[in-house]
Amino acid sequence: MAQCSGNELMKEECENHEKCMKMIQAVLDGSATPDEIEHFKNNIEVCKPCVDGYELEKSIKESLKTKVSKVCCPQKTIEQLKVKIGIGLLLILGLVIKIKVIQEIFI
Amino acid sequence: MEFEEEEEELIESKPKYSEAEKYRIFDKEFMPHVDSMYNFAFRLTNDEDDANDLMQDTFMKAFRFINSFQEGTNSKAWLFRILKNSFINDYRKKSKEPSKVDYQEVETVYNSTEDAEYESTTDLRIEAVQDMIGDEVAMALNGLPVDFRTVIILCDIEGFTYEEMAKILDIPIGTVRSRLHRARNLLKEKLRSYAKSMGYKELR
Repeated sequence: MAQCSGNELMKEECENHEKCMKMIQAVLDGSATPDEIEHFKNNIEVCKPCVDGYELEKSIKESLKTKVSKVCCPQKTIEQLKVKIGIGLLLILGLVIKIKVIQEIFI
Repeated sequence: MEFEEEEEELIESKPKYSEAEKYRIFDKEFMPHVDSMYNFAFRLTNDEDDANDLMQDTFMKAFRFINSFQEGTNSKAWLFRILKNSFINDYRKKSKEPSKVDYQEVETVYNSTEDAEYESTTDLRIEAVQDMIGDEVAMALNGLPVDFRTVIILCDIEGFTYEEMAKILDIPIGTVRSRLHRARNLLKEKLRSYAKSMGYKELR
C-alpha cells in the first residue's frame, strides 16, 4: 500500500507489504499518525494484499476482544487485598500512637 | 534491574498525600482496575495462584509508592507498569510455563525469517478466524512467548495506545509497533494451525 498510490487498478502484489501491515495495524489500533491515516484512506482500495491484510487483522483483533474471556479477580483475592491494606493502616496508626505515647512520657 | 531503579526513583519522591488521601486515592483510582489487573496477571502467568500473588503484590507496591502517583493521571497504565515489572523481576523465573523463550533470541530468529513468515501467514482465512471459539483463540495467544503475548494483551484486550504501551513496557513506540507486528504474525501462524486442524483449506 505504501507504494500503491496513483494506480487505478487493484494491485495483486504489494512490494512493501511488511511496512504496509505495520501501518494498517496502527490504523486499526487507533495509534496511527495523521499522515498514516491519510495515506491509508487514499491507498487501501487499490492494493489487494493490503485489503486482505486489513480484513484479516480486523477479524483477529475483533476475536481477541470479544472471544478471549476476561478473567475476573476472585472476590476472595479482593478481600485479602483489602485486609492487607487495612493491616498497613493499623500498623501506621499503632506506630503513630506509640511515638506520641513515648513523646508524652519522655518530653 | 529495571524495577529496582524505579523503586529508587519512587523512594526519592516527597510524600504529598495524607493517610486519608492515600486510602481515598487507592479506592477511587486503583481498585476500579482490579479485574483488568488480575486478567493481565493471569494471562502473563497462566496460573491462578501466581496471578493472585502477582496482583496483590502489585497493589501493595502501588500503595507503598502512592506518593509517586499523580492523582488524575493514567492510573491503569501506572498499575500495569508496576505489575509488568513485578512479573519480570519476581515471577518470571519461577513461572510454571514449561519453556521460557528469551525475547531477544525470538526477535533475532524472527527477524531472520521475516519474509518466510509473511509467506506462511497470509493464507489464514477470515472465516476460519471468525468460526474459532474463544478457547482456540486464547490457546493461540497463550502459546506465544510472553513478550509477544504481553503486547497483544495490552493492545487488543486492554485497549492501550502505543504511547501508553511504550510507557508500560519501557520501550520506544517504534519498538512497540515492531513487536506488535511480529507478535501478530506469530499469532496468525498459531491460528493457521488451528484452522488447518478444523479442516479449513488454505487459500493456495
